[in-house]
Amino acid sequence: MTDVAAERSAIAPRDDVVPEASSTGSTASAARRRNQLIAWAFLAPFMAAFVLFVIWPLTHGVYLSMTDQSLTGAGGRFIGLQNYSEALSDPVVWSSIRNTVWFTVISTVPLIVFALVMALLVNTGLPGQWLWRLAFFMPFLLASTVISQIWMWIFNPELGAANEILQRFGIEPIAWLQTEHIDIISITIATVWWTVGFNFLLYLAALQNIPDLQYEAAAVDGAGRWRQLFSITLPQLGPVTVVVVILQMLASLKLFDQAYQMMDGGSSDTSRPIVQYIFEAGFTGYRFGYASAISYIFFALIVIVGIFQMVILSRRRENR
Amino acid sequence: MSSPLVNRRQFLGGSLAVAGALAFTGCAPTGPASATTVQFWHLLSGGDGITMEGLIDGINAEHSDFFIRPTVLAWGTPYYTKLSMAGAGGRAPELAMMHAARVPGYVPGGLLDPWDLDMLAERGVSSETFTEPVWESSVVDNQLYSVALDAHPFIALYNRDICEAAGALDDEGHLQRPDNPDDFLEMCRQIAAVTGGRALSYGFLGDGNQMWRLFYTLYCQHGVEMRFPQGGTAEFDREAFVSSLEFMHQIADGEVAARQGTIDYAIAEFAGQQTGIHFTGVWELPTMQEAGVPVDATMIPPVFGQEAVYADSHSFVLPHQSEPDEEARGHAYTFVAELLKNSLAWAGAGHIPAYRPVLEDPEYAELLPQAHYAEAADHLVYDPTAWFTGSGSNFIQDFGQIVGGTIVSGSGYEAAADAFQEHVDAILARANPANPEEG
Repeated sequence: MTDVAAERSAIAPRDDVVPEASSTGSTASAARRRNQLIAWAFLAPFMAAFVLFVIWPLTHGVYLSMTDQSLTGAGGRFIGLQNYSEALSDPVVWSSIRNTVWFTVISTVPLIVFALVMALLVNTGLPGQWLWRLAFFMPFLLASTVISQIWMWIFNPELGAANEILQRFGIEPIAWLQTEHIDIISITIATVWWTVGFNFLLYLAALQNIPDLQYEAAAVDGAGRWRQLFSITLPQLGPVTVVVVILQMLASLKLFDQAYQMMDGGSSDTSRPIVQYIFEAGFTGYRFGYASAISYIFFALIVIVGIFQMVILSRRRENR
Repeated sequence: MSSPLVNRRQFLGGSLAVAGALAFTGCAPTGPASATTVQFWHLLSGGDGITMEGLIDGINAEHSDFFIRPTVLAWGTPYYTKLSMAGAGGRAPELAMMHAARVPGYVPGGLLDPWDLDMLAERGVSSETFTEPVWESSVVDNQLYSVALDAHPFIALYNRDICEAAGALDDEGHLQRPDNPDDFLEMCRQIAAVTGGRALSYGFLGDGNQMWRLFYTLYCQHGVEMRFPQGGTAEFDREAFVSSLEFMHQIADGEVAARQGTIDYAIAEFAGQQTGIHFTGVWELPTMQEAGVPVDATMIPPVFGQEAVYADSHSFVLPHQSEPDEEARGHAYTFVAELLKNSLAWAGAGHIPAYRPVLEDPEYAELLPQAHYAEAADHLVYDPTAWFTGSGSNFIQDFGQIVGGTIVSGSGYEAAADAFQEHVDAILARANPANPEEG
């Protein structure tokens, strides 16, 4: 590190004198080349890892998606766009994309609303701050396997706590994880409980960054609690909300662990996320080529979401 | 501030040392230096895993020339993924365990090597030493690709005390075996009257494996077959398909058995002696014995006329190796032969030994309640032969998804049959991914 710094300071003045003394031009360009070489040498370890683990799999995957490559090593013939046409006409691809998008919608909204409400409540200065913070954040520290187990027991139709509570209110027991359309909601409930603590913490940090002066000034002007909430607090939480939404959408689109574990191999057409279908097609169905094709279709979907987010973000910037 | 008992550096150092020590103790044991190591992958955990470990230790202790090193992997679909990837890489273990019904899917791609009949015969293992259904399930394309250790059928465990009080036992003290659905359901109602709750535990909700096990038992009791010819269409008897599902719905009516019973729930219910009968795999027998249930066992009554028992086998296979070590292979043969001969201990875990001399051993006849369902060995039905069938396969999970709603609701039988036909036809139209060229 210090060598590079020394190198730079030694070279920089020479660069500056190049236009005036053309005789030193060749040495200067040699130095620049040397400088670049050193830069590349420092970048090389990262580049090697990046090419090996990101660029190569990404490009090789495109090729794989056009073959009938099997996980078992068999196949590998080039079959053009056959996998893509099969995937686009495969109802399970569409149902699992639909499930993923649906999950993203129904999980992102409560994950923001609950986190915000929890943060606002804690920020009102409830006694035992540390306890609230700990209690709300703790589930987030659990491994997905643990929360899956916990919620599988809660949702057990005959033994679980969820139906026990329903029955107290005279409601018929529900097969939470085994009824189509309800299964995805059950997965969402577990996910919200699991991850809401992270958003809660982001909101709480943002809330604590709002200067007290503003509230005092507002109070002097006669603004009540609600007026302060809508005119001071919420507008200032805008930036953190954007961060939360982006993180949440990306996390929700990647849904796999808890859905796979909670359904315990019994996924239905209304609960199987697209990542799980890619896993099933490739790793338990052994069709690597086909799984690659589906993952590129999903990739396209994420790119669309990404562009959408970029547009919204740049608009926000323009508005400022 | 007082200095803490342990400073951060000491704590980190200590943690590293502990982690290191754990990593070393985690290493698999090795045998004597002169012994050839034989790698053996299996998927047995829990009680089965402990029994297998004991058997392996016994054989290792008797041999100084080889050492069996077992690797235990979790049961289920991912096990097969790991096994096939190892085979694809050509550096698979010398020996592995598979479910017999999964074998046909792995043979065409060259993931398995066939067993040498002569080498087996030298060690006292041949077609003569297995029952017909077991041997047939091991042969693919006229070659022996798996050697069965057991058959683990889906049977009926029953609580002797409860069933006796309900008058459901015959003169010899065995559970009555009604030969039609109505009589069976009537018997269940008598049992329910004794328990004051339900008669039967059967967990199936969200579990394709459990649904398939009972469904295929009932389907085959009709005396019909199911065939999945590659490239063709699924051939099955629609009437038997529908009536089997109807019967499953009649059981899961909330009175005979729980309407929404999961596998865990059914186990807890029967272990808690709240029901008289439990439809389950033989592997649950030790659990029930440990729970203190006065448990006996029999084949599932032939309510549709014929005896049929859904089963799969834990079978030994030789994963394909590019450069097999002939010596290690030879030891693998010896190990398998000895394990088969010692499989009486394996029968203790509930499984029916596949090796006939053990099955016919008077000691096995005295092993109760195992001997009460030994007859199942002659009535075993394995999954329809196809590359995509077998325990823990995607096919079984898809089946559960297709019929699950129908079993619960009692409607849409014909639609379920249509969906099954369509689903299987679609798979049959695709090539076996282990061998896409063959089609």
